[in-house]
Amino acid sequence: MRKISSILKKIFIFILIILFITGFSSSYNSLNLDNLAFAVAIGIDKGTSNKLKVTFEFIAPSPSSESGAETSPVLNTVECSSITNGINMMNAYLGKKVNLSHCKLIIFSEELAKNGISDEVYSLINEVQVRPSANIVVSKCNTKYYIENSVPSLESLIPRYYDIFPNTSEYTGYTCNATIGDFFNALVCNSCSPYAILGGINTSDYNSNSSENQISDNSTIKSNESPITGSRVSQNIGLAVFKDDKLAGELNAIETICFLNMRKEVDSFLVSIQNPENPEETNSKIDIYLTPNTTHKITVNLVNGAPYIKIKLEFSGKIYSMSKNSQYLNNNILNSISNSCNNYLETQFSNYLYKTSTIFESDINGLGVYALSKFSTSSKFNDYNWLDNYKNCTFDVEINTVIDSGFLLTQT
Amino acid sequence: MAKHKISTISAIMLTLSIVVSYITSSFPRTFINETKSATLINIVYITILVLFIILIFCNLFKRFPGLDLLDISKFLGGNILKDIIGSFFIMYFTISSSIMLRNFCESLVVIYYPLTNYVFIILMFIFSISLVNRLDFSSTLNVSSIVFPLVLISALLLFCGNLDNFSFKRIYPILGDGFYNTFILGLKNIGAFGGICYLYFLPPMLKEPQKFKKIAVISVIATGLFIFLCVATLLFMFSFFITTDEVMPLFSAARYIEFGTFFQRFESVFLLIWIISFCCFLSITCKFSTNIFNKMFNLSDMKAMSNIFILLIFALSLLPQNYAIANFLETNIYRYLRIAVGFILGITILILANIKKKKVGEKD
Repeated sequence: MRKISSILKKIFIFILIILFITGFSSSYNSLNLDNLAFAVAIGIDKGTSNKLKVTFEFIAPSPSSESGAETSPVLNTVECSSITNGINMMNAYLGKKVNLSHCKLIIFSEELAKNGISDEVYSLINEVQVRPSANIVVSKCNTKYYIENSVPSLESLIPRYYDIFPNTSEYTGYTCNATIGDFFNALVCNSCSPYAILGGINTSDYNSNSSENQISDNSTIKSNESPITGSRVSQNIGLAVFKDDKLAGELNAIETICFLNMRKEVDSFLVSIQNPENPEETNSKIDIYLTPNTTHKITVNLVNGAPYIKIKLEFSGKIYSMSKNSQYLNNNILNSISNSCNNYLETQFSNYLYKTSTIFESDINGLGVYALSKFSTSSKFNDYNWLDNYKNCTFDVEINTVIDSGFLLTQT
Repeated sequence: MAKHKISTISAIMLTLSIVVSYITSSFPRTFINETKSATLINIVYITILVLFIILIFCNLFKRFPGLDLLDISKFLGGNILKDIIGSFFIMYFTISSSIMLRNFCESLVVIYYPLTNYVFIILMFIFSISLVNRLDFSSTLNVSSIVFPLVLISALLLFCGNLDNFSFKRIYPILGDGFYNTFILGLKNIGAFGGICYLYFLPPMLKEPQKFKKIAVISVIATGLFIFLCVATLLFMFSFFITTDEVMPLFSAARYIEFGTFFQRFESVFLLIWIISFCCFLSITCKFSTNIFNKMFNLSDMKAMSNIFILLIFALSLLPQNYAIANFLETNIYRYLRIAVGFILGITILILANIKKKKVGEKD
């Protein structure tokens, strides 16, 4: 009897093993590395013969190189009615399953973004493989062209470049680490609006046509309109502003700095201000390296039904540019530089805020969140319709900058 | 089970293991959906309320030292009432665990096993609890005692790791959808403390029954804190749980945790911990159902009965036609079942038994 019981137990375990092998083998096969093609970036354009044109960037290891040392990008494009359909067709073409779990960059063309991208964003968020930390870019040019030209010059690995470049926002403030997760969060939010990195290609036309009047200040550059030339022609400077799911406009470098400061997402940045010692000469500028203090204060009040937003920002700075006869240990000079810096930043912040409010009508700063406390219930806030009322905002910006001489040189 | 006495710590961990299964399901989303920005106030309010209820509950138990709800029901209405109450609780334990199991497995299919039928994943859980239940109950309790601190650490990591993504202003408007919705309709969230149902059957199993009150109070406070931590993470991070439904909300939050470019994709570790914790929940539920059944019919072989309940859980979990129905059952039916059985039924029996005891005492 015991022997029969033991045999039955063995048969039961055997059946169990077979059962689980059968049940889980399909998932194992579908997630097997041999069957997967990892896309590192996808570009979504408006299609010509169909709704969308989706470009996938894959990395094929170069046979001659050692592992991880050098890779070559492979671009495949498909015209389709939806992203999911595009992925499906690409699966058929590649003979492998497209996997987006390593997709670092999702690029939308400007044309498509102007028509609205909520369907695409919802579909991407619905895809388990897409990481919420994947960066979202709006390209001024066709996305395939943007991806083709996004070959890093100082990195051998493209995914590494995609991983690193948004982090420059922390020390330049010229771009921002906009992710698809944040975009989706803002898209469904009733107190904020979505935004994306502004990408583009440096066109030679710009360099030849631009005059001194057009670019009087380096901080007004943005993707497609920058004086930078190099081996990589793609650029990521500025910000794409959305109203709901539609592209409403663009921000240049200094406006992006303002945006990042409002959201406390920048560690330090550089501004060029008029030299107070030489106010008549417009080319006499001082470069100041500014670090935001943690004492940012934003308050929102409702005055006659319109939002009145008071913003108080504090910065500490050091003078970067040095010239002959600089007296940066003199308190009066430092104070006058601080005042000049305050005036410059107040103008920039005010212009930026009114631009988002009156021109774009898009609260990318998430100032609506500060207004929540002014309402007793969520339904009252919903009835107020913050996003529609954002255009009626009045901003009161107060900047306090403390300049502490230079770095190694304090006086020349 | 009664021959293996449970220590105070194990008893607390046991009740807390129950709440983990609620939290890893869609329960936090339901909280936020219903009470909006006032969710945290609602959790504090409900924790205080449950604390009062639990103190009343402990006082009601005082007259029946070392007895569980079945013994008290027998005292109140004889074997018939005992059987009715026992049947209600068995029904509650099996239905609740099967709904939770189905939803949890459906989520796992979406996340990790796209081409595997959910039945195989349910079977994995069923076989694992079947194996566990062949062992001594203390093994489940020991695992719970190890896993719950890990779950707590994971919840803390979830909170701290996402601090950069938080917008603390989302706590406003302070009253969410208004006083009525927060404090009156919000009472429905009391079901989150469904773990107290298990307390009704704990007294005879405790090593130190005199510490029952301590166990109950600590369990409620710890449950409240745990729910607060998990729901706060979601409330401060996302604006979309108010309008959008997402599978396993805490998993969504876990996907955002990154420490530089090296430490990424923590969600797999979180999910592993939650799966182990979920197994503990199933095992505990199964043991309690078996224990009640054995007590109702004076049976001695627990192992054989345990397998029957495991099969029952398996069969019930297959009943919902799809995820939508399973989700509907979890968010709209199960929570009321928890309130009805866990709070109303249990406490009514205790109150009536106390009245009877008083009357009997007076007569004597």
